[in-house]
Amino acid sequence: MRRLTKLSAVAAVAALALAGCGSSDSGGSDGGSKPAASKDVCKTAKGDGPKIGLAYDVGGRGDQSFNDSAYVGLKKAVEEFKGSCVEGEASDGEPESAREDRLRNMADSGATAIIGVGFAYSDSVNAVAPDYPKVNFAIVDGFDPDTKPNANVAYLTFAANEGSYLVGVAAAEKTKTGQIGFVGGVHNDLIKGFEAGYVAGAKAVKPDIKVDIAYIQESDLKGFGDPAGGKAAATGEFDKGADIVYHASGASGSGVFDAAVEAGDGKWAIGVDSDQYLTATTAQKAHILTSALKRVDVATYDFIKTVNDGKPATSYTTYDLKNDGVGYATSGGFIDDIKSDIDGYKAKIVSGEIKVPTKP
Amino acid sequence: MKSFNPRAIGLALLGPAIAIVASVLVTTLVIAAVGSSPGDFWSTMFDFPKPRSRVDIVNQTAMIYTAAVAAAIGFRMGLFNIGLEGQYTLASYAAAAFAGGAYLSGFANVFVSLLIAVAVGAAWSAIAGILKTTRGVSEVISTIMLNSIAITLVGYLLNKYGVHEGNTVHTTRIDLVSGWTPFENRDGEIWTLVIIAVLAGVGFWVLLNKTRFGFDLRASGQSETVAKASGVNPHRMIITAMALSGGVAGLIWMPALFGKATNFGLGTTFQAGLGFLGIAVALLGRNRPIGMLFGALLFAYLSVKSNDLTFATDVSPSIVQITQGVAVLAVVVAYEVVRRWRARLEQRVVAQELGTATEATA
Amino acid sequence: MTQESVAVELRGIGKRFPGVIANHDVDLTIRAGTVHALIGENGAGKSTLMKILYGVQKPDDGTIAINGREVALRTPTDAIANGVGMVFQHFMLADNLTVLENMVLGAEKLHGIGDRARAEIRRISDAFGFGLQPDVLVEKLGVADRQRLEIAKVLYRGACIIILDEPTAVLVPQEVDALFANLRELRNAGNAVLFISHKLDEVLAIADDITVMRRGTTVGTADPHTTTKRELAELMVGSELPSPETEESTVTDTVELTLANVTLADEFGRNLLTDVSLSIHRGEILGIAGVEGNGQAELVETIMGMRIPGGGTIHLGTEDVTHWHTRKLREAGIGYIPEDRHRHGLLLDAPLWENRILGHQTQAPNAKGPWINRSGARKDTQRIVAEYDVRAPGIDTPARALSGGNQQKLIVGREMSGDPVLLIASHPTRGVDVGAQAAIWDHIKRARRAGLAVLLISADLDELIGLSDTIQVILRGRLVGTFDPASVTPQDLGAAMTGGQAA
Repeated sequence: MRRLTKLSAVAAVAALALAGCGSSDSGGSDGGSKPAASKDVCKTAKGDGPKIGLAYDVGGRGDQSFNDSAYVGLKKAVEEFKGSCVEGEASDGEPESAREDRLRNMADSGATAIIGVGFAYSDSVNAVAPDYPKVNFAIVDGFDPDTKPNANVAYLTFAANEGSYLVGVAAAEKTKTGQIGFVGGVHNDLIKGFEAGYVAGAKAVKPDIKVDIAYIQESDLKGFGDPAGGKAAATGEFDKGADIVYHASGASGSGVFDAAVEAGDGKWAIGVDSDQYLTATTAQKAHILTSALKRVDVATYDFIKTVNDGKPATSYTTYDLKNDGVGYATSGGFIDDIKSDIDGYKAKIVSGEIKVPTKP
Repeated sequence: MKSFNPRAIGLALLGPAIAIVASVLVTTLVIAAVGSSPGDFWSTMFDFPKPRSRVDIVNQTAMIYTAAVAAAIGFRMGLFNIGLEGQYTLASYAAAAFAGGAYLSGFANVFVSLLIAVAVGAAWSAIAGILKTTRGVSEVISTIMLNSIAITLVGYLLNKYGVHEGNTVHTTRIDLVSGWTPFENRDGEIWTLVIIAVLAGVGFWVLLNKTRFGFDLRASGQSETVAKASGVNPHRMIITAMALSGGVAGLIWMPALFGKATNFGLGTTFQAGLGFLGIAVALLGRNRPIGMLFGALLFAYLSVKSNDLTFATDVSPSIVQITQGVAVLAVVVAYEVVRRWRARLEQRVVAQELGTATEATA
Repeated sequence: MTQESVAVELRGIGKRFPGVIANHDVDLTIRAGTVHALIGENGAGKSTLMKILYGVQKPDDGTIAINGREVALRTPTDAIANGVGMVFQHFMLADNLTVLENMVLGAEKLHGIGDRARAEIRRISDAFGFGLQPDVLVEKLGVADRQRLEIAKVLYRGACIIILDEPTAVLVPQEVDALFANLRELRNAGNAVLFISHKLDEVLAIADDITVMRRGTTVGTADPHTTTKRELAELMVGSELPSPETEESTVTDTVELTLANVTLADEFGRNLLTDVSLSIHRGEILGIAGVEGNGQAELVETIMGMRIPGGGTIHLGTEDVTHWHTRKLREAGIGYIPEDRHRHGLLLDAPLWENRILGHQTQAPNAKGPWINRSGARKDTQRIVAEYDVRAPGIDTPARALSGGNQQKLIVGREMSGDPVLLIASHPTRGVDVGAQAAIWDHIKRARRAGLAVLLISADLDELIGLSDTIQVILRGRLVGTFDPASVTPQDLGAAMTGGQAA
């Protein structure tokens, strides 16, 4: 029976591996402002306006981040333009062909505007778009992987480094120890942009400030869905003397908030993508200084609007401080006293006086 | 083993049949429990796939099957190589990086890249074998660790040497090997290197049933002590089997690389998770070449079809993972039960045929 | 016999397992105050009958009456409640507990766990001459003491019908005598003892009544005072009794195997084999006698290349094979009949023809280069099945389905194939029926005449004496004495095996 035991153990491992890892977020940047709405707009909306397809990244609706944020924009657009919509969700470890199939399914079902949430859709949109010249595609955080321009694809990118710069300013102004921290989910180029802006903002206020940098994973996308890892990383930084920690780690961020709560009074965390103060628990709220905003909902809505207006956006659109595509949150009122300072920096970035780096 | 009487075949099919019924039942219950309609789910799943889905199913089956063969090589000798995931991740990266370097051209580039994939997968896997033979580290533990190390290593190398593009990083793009287009162009191609799966399956069967090495491998799997007494060198056997398993694992993703992906990028083009699927399918197919083929086909079918769920039903595609997981667990239990029945049956048959049913159990 | 009360009466007991009728129409009457011997070959159904009497298995037919009252024994607990106790061949004792603790374990309610229990143990020990000391750790006890403790445990639980399953198998002759003295005390105190054995000398020495089993049923009873060994044996086997008898010596001058000062240590550095030196000539059978666990298994595994000796050399012919691996040794012509055929000899779930290949994977007719020669192996399996009388429906039958004797015959046939130069035979007839035993002996003797060198390890002293040209005794990993089987007695060997006589 030892045989059976060993077999069962392996079967259990396999089953866990199959079923247990649905929470990574390859975008690493959450942006929704509210949990998934209880009413599902795509089930109820039957308008004869534009039909919109929204292809989520891994995690899908209800991730309280990136995907939900896109849904908020979708919902607003569908209601406003009396349209209808169809959704699809990526599963973990799915092949390129599954993403393509999802987009094609949407186009075949009559969608005229299709949005892929997350840069993982870049290649699949590039492959699918030429087959559907009448359909308009958009990719959040996306890019064109080849040199052949696509006439019907919009790439919606965010100057996340600029939003991060502002919360870096806030952290530097608020720190009492002269030491702050950063926790990234995965050490990839996207998150490095967050780090770069944050560090630059902090140094602009206090050139001698010490910034601790930690990443939960070097390359494993699990780093975006690992609250325990986020907590461990943040606790390490608090222990070393930081009193404010900014995270760009998707769903792992809740662990960073918990670390701030446990570190006690005077220790703060900074949220990312959405105004995370609004979705945090009561205990966490007292420790969320601010959040760097990345308005995926705005980008989604704007794109749909251009399609509805008959002038679909194509090529690259950057969402930055200038068009309020990124920013910072003031919920909780913890940074009201330094708001004018932050806005001063914001004005300088908008005017081009300050150039925010994109790489650390 | 070689008796083709109907009862033996019936018994052989009983295990998977029980497993499939159990997984259908559990899936139905779960769907009903979350308030969705199991009827919608099953009618969507049983809907005949679209042409492009059929192409995808073939391609996916090939990769899952290769992974299952890799797992089965270890399983057949009682080695649990959980590290397929890390082995093929590292091997895929190495092969893609080499191919992207374009040191060779055309067919030679593809062929040498495949060799590199095999070599890297084998070497990575052999580490676990060496740890087991020299330090007594369970291969289950070491391969899980090596999975983490592999993915971290690949991420590091990719960041350092890869092509940074948009928010992603990947290896240099390569020219694809054109495949076979059974339907329209837009429905995709069946990749040329799908042939790897066929070769892996046939090779596995020949190795196992026709060679001395295969005999030693099976003997080691059935009883380590018997194999040792028969002259099998257990240390060498463990390292060889691990390396072989890892070498085949190295090939898992190669069809996709040369058929579609053009580059290796974590979270983008690279399809993670095939290693774990392979382990599950090896269990499902009882490490038999034909059994695993059906298992791989079933899993590929479920995965590909799950994409349709969001259009026709409100069931999450993730439910398919429950179906797959339950199928594997159920098959392990069902097979053990059937194995015991079969053993008893055989004893009875022997006693009947000899007509001397008087010997007591010793 | 006199008017004594009947302790146990079994009538028409039958028990069927899938594919096997283990017992049928078994009748057995055990009188109180006697030692009743139940004899029969391995596989005759003795073990099953005992298990039925001890409540481990439920009979399909028949009745059990204890002290005149019909009872249903569903579990061992029922059996104990009815005064039936059993001492198994493999002791069930906790080494790290004391005699007292082992005794009261599971029977705490009877006499508590303190002084009352201690007093009871002393009473039992004194009454039957067990010499048990309640506070000694069991790991310090020898085999004989452990057996006495097991018997005492049964008595402590109130048994008056005591089943002993081959109690002498683990004992040397002197210890057997002591055991018999204890059993006589038990008998004199009015207990009934059921003594299971297949050693006829012992049975005749101790039993008051004898019941013989063969092929699952009781075939007769005998009076130990009037019957002879030969008559008993014929009752057991139903035919003439075979016995191994060496013919004229075929020992040649050519040395086939030489061990010189071979030493083997375990992982803790303790010596399992110390300075073992021996040589076997072509045509010679060298027997190794010893109480089990004195290094026999290690010796065999060292010669077979499954363990690497720490010191000394091993030569096969003139070749130094000390560091050769098992496969190379087998290719050089060593046949190996392992002690435990399930652990070392057979792939139970593989068909017979694949088991024919086992151990000879690289040799004709099983292999051609790196390929398995399926038809060659199958054909040769047919030959073995025919020549060695392996009773199986076909060569595709899994080995598991065969009886122990047939499994062993397959192994012997396999290891004799391909003209080996040396045969390592560990307990070659253990657990096989009489017919198979005689056949195996014949095969070994025939090969010896053809010039085969044989290392024979056996727990059966008759077998050793009957087959060997020379006998060496192994004790605690050393060879401690050499004997000539023509003149040695089991008593001499027994003394050497327990260290009573140094050589």
